[in-house]
Amino acid sequence: MIKEIKPTVFVVDDDAAVRDSLRMLLKSVGLPVEVFESGQEFLDADRDDRPGCLVLDIRMPGMSGLELQVKLNERHSILPIIFITGHGDVPMAVEAMQAGAVDFIQKPFRDQDLLDRINQALEKDAGSRRMLAERNMIRKRLESLTPREKEVLDLVVAGKANKVIAGDLNLSQRTVEIHRARVMEKMEAHSLAHLVRMVLEVERTDE
Amino acid sequence: MPRRPGEAELEFKSLLDAAVDAIIVIDHRGRIEQFSLAAERIFGYTAAEVLGQNVEVLMPGPYRAEHDTYMDNYQQTGEAKIIGIGREVKAQRKDGSVFACELAVGRVQGVVPPRFIGFIRDITLRKLADERLRRSESELRLAQQLANLGNYVVNPDQSGPDYFSPQLCRILGIDAAAETLPLAAVLERRVHPGDRAMLDEVFRELDSPGNSFDCEYRIVLDDGTTRHLHHIAQVTRDAKGTPLKHIGTIHDVTDRRATEDEARQLQERLTHFSRLSTMGEMAAGLAHEINQPLAAIATYAQACQRFVRSPDRDDADVLEALEQISVQALRAGEVIRRLRNFVKNREVKREPVDCNRLLDDLRTLAETDARLHNVRLRIEAAPGLPSVYADPIQLQQVVLNLVRNAIDAMSEAPETRREVLLSTRQLPDGEIEIIVADHGSGLAPEAAEHLFNPFFTTKSGGTGLGLAISRSIVRAHGGRLWHTPNEGTGARFHFTLPASPASKRE
Repeated sequence: MIKEIKPTVFVVDDDAAVRDSLRMLLKSVGLPVEVFESGQEFLDADRDDRPGCLVLDIRMPGMSGLELQVKLNERHSILPIIFITGHGDVPMAVEAMQAGAVDFIQKPFRDQDLLDRINQALEKDAGSRRMLAERNMIRKRLESLTPREKEVLDLVVAGKANKVIAGDLNLSQRTVEIHRARVMEKMEAHSLAHLVRMVLEVERTDE
Repeated sequence: MPRRPGEAELEFKSLLDAAVDAIIVIDHRGRIEQFSLAAERIFGYTAAEVLGQNVEVLMPGPYRAEHDTYMDNYQQTGEAKIIGIGREVKAQRKDGSVFACELAVGRVQGVVPPRFIGFIRDITLRKLADERLRRSESELRLAQQLANLGNYVVNPDQSGPDYFSPQLCRILGIDAAAETLPLAAVLERRVHPGDRAMLDEVFRELDSPGNSFDCEYRIVLDDGTTRHLHHIAQVTRDAKGTPLKHIGTIHDVTDRRATEDEARQLQERLTHFSRLSTMGEMAAGLAHEINQPLAAIATYAQACQRFVRSPDRDDADVLEALEQISVQALRAGEVIRRLRNFVKNREVKREPVDCNRLLDDLRTLAETDARLHNVRLRIEAAPGLPSVYADPIQLQQVVLNLVRNAIDAMSEAPETRREVLLSTRQLPDGEIEIIVADHGSGLAPEAAEHLFNPFFTTKSGGTGLGLAISRSIVRAHGGRLWHTPNEGTGARFHFTLPASPASKRE
């Protein structure tokens, strides 16, 4: 299960000293940490689907922090990003936030400020992962439905009564009731409202 | 032996004719009685033509009218205007031409009415020579005055008085009449303390078998003003090597030196200004460069605090963090030191410089800008380069300027091409060449044309002085600065510097 992998803080900074000091700070609070000296190195290490968060220097030679963010978005990574910026990098920070970064922090920074942001990011990541896991579960349940059950589900979610569904599908009302009960069971829905919420959740993200 | 009658007269006639000067005898009314051979030659009249005529015929206009008055005056008052005195007068030849002559008049004693004898010497040539001499002297004086150059002659053997030209006296601030000190003593008293040793050396050289010297030194006048003198001297010696004459010129070059100094100072100020403005433009990058170690220090220190508070702390972690704190503090200090060195207003000083080390030293400052613009900086140094004799800060200024231009040229270039290559090499003729190559879009022909003009710039924030100053720095070091297209794309800026003589190998 996903929860068994401990969340890790990934640090990408070209400056060896900044990188190393961050490694030590995170080590001092007992957070697992992995450091990388360039965006490319991080991409090559294939860590972007791991739980945790990314602490990313916005300004780096070669691939900049913003460019790495774009690449990660392309790879559908959900890793939350905290950007480290210098003085006068505000426009870049704005761009980063618009592209989905959770936060940015200007260096030099107070350790607690960074750690607070990291904790928030880790919580967000955990939340996202839970949500993602749930969605996957719903999808799996949907996949377990027969074509007929799927047809019934769609009409139920569209708000149609059993009698109308029976007419639409040219089935007896009794048969519709049986399919409907199977759908509720397979989808592990507590109520009609619950069923609708699950279907909408998946449909929204699949669009 | 008794004289025969008429003998005295013959003798007198011979005497008259043998004399080089013209001799003319007149009576009390001014009528010519005797006219010697020399008189005939000088005036162009034969004796027969003038005998019995008033002596006035030998005089030009104004004198002619006055002569009778003089004679009447003398005869009435006995007051002599000319007799026994002699003076310079004008005379007139038969052909009407007027000439200068010296006239002496005597009165023949013991005869009544009185007769007068005149001796006339043609001094035209002497006057001409005098005139020429006077003119040449005054021209020389004027020339010396205009050039502010004086000359002197010193006689070491005391064979004659030393001579200082009037302009020399003015230059040295001495009164030629009052000051009888030897030249060496005059200069010794006035020479600028900083140049005393050199002047002593120069005078020693004059005493040694060397025959001449040419040097510049400063003197301080009594009123405190300083003058720069260019002194050229020569000694002539006899066969035994004893100095006979010491002659020389002293040229007051104060104004020229002042102009040169002013131009140099202006150039230095401009160069310094350009460095300051470069650093101003680089401020953001420099702030980042100093901020990096500061951020690391803060983070290490905070990690350290947490380690120390932690119950199961590992001292190795604490020590490592502390060690890094000191390393990073030194790193920040180093950035500031280089920055200060670069912008310090200092005297230009040339020294042997290793170009490869210079590039290495410059890396911190150059990378600041490179990082800011997401450009890689690569250095390819040729090993074993001889050193150059240069002002290291000015050379850094040239390289930094070229590197920053290269970085700017690549602002639109794709990421894979964003690299500046800095390389050094030695040319076959021994010169050192430094090349800064970029992969930008290259130089547009119209930009290339004005590239080195002051105030020409293609950048919004540029002063347009960078390349102009860089070229003047390189030229002042005896090198050249030019550009060529880079292979593929972009531009290459090259400059050369002569290898310092001390470091020439083989």
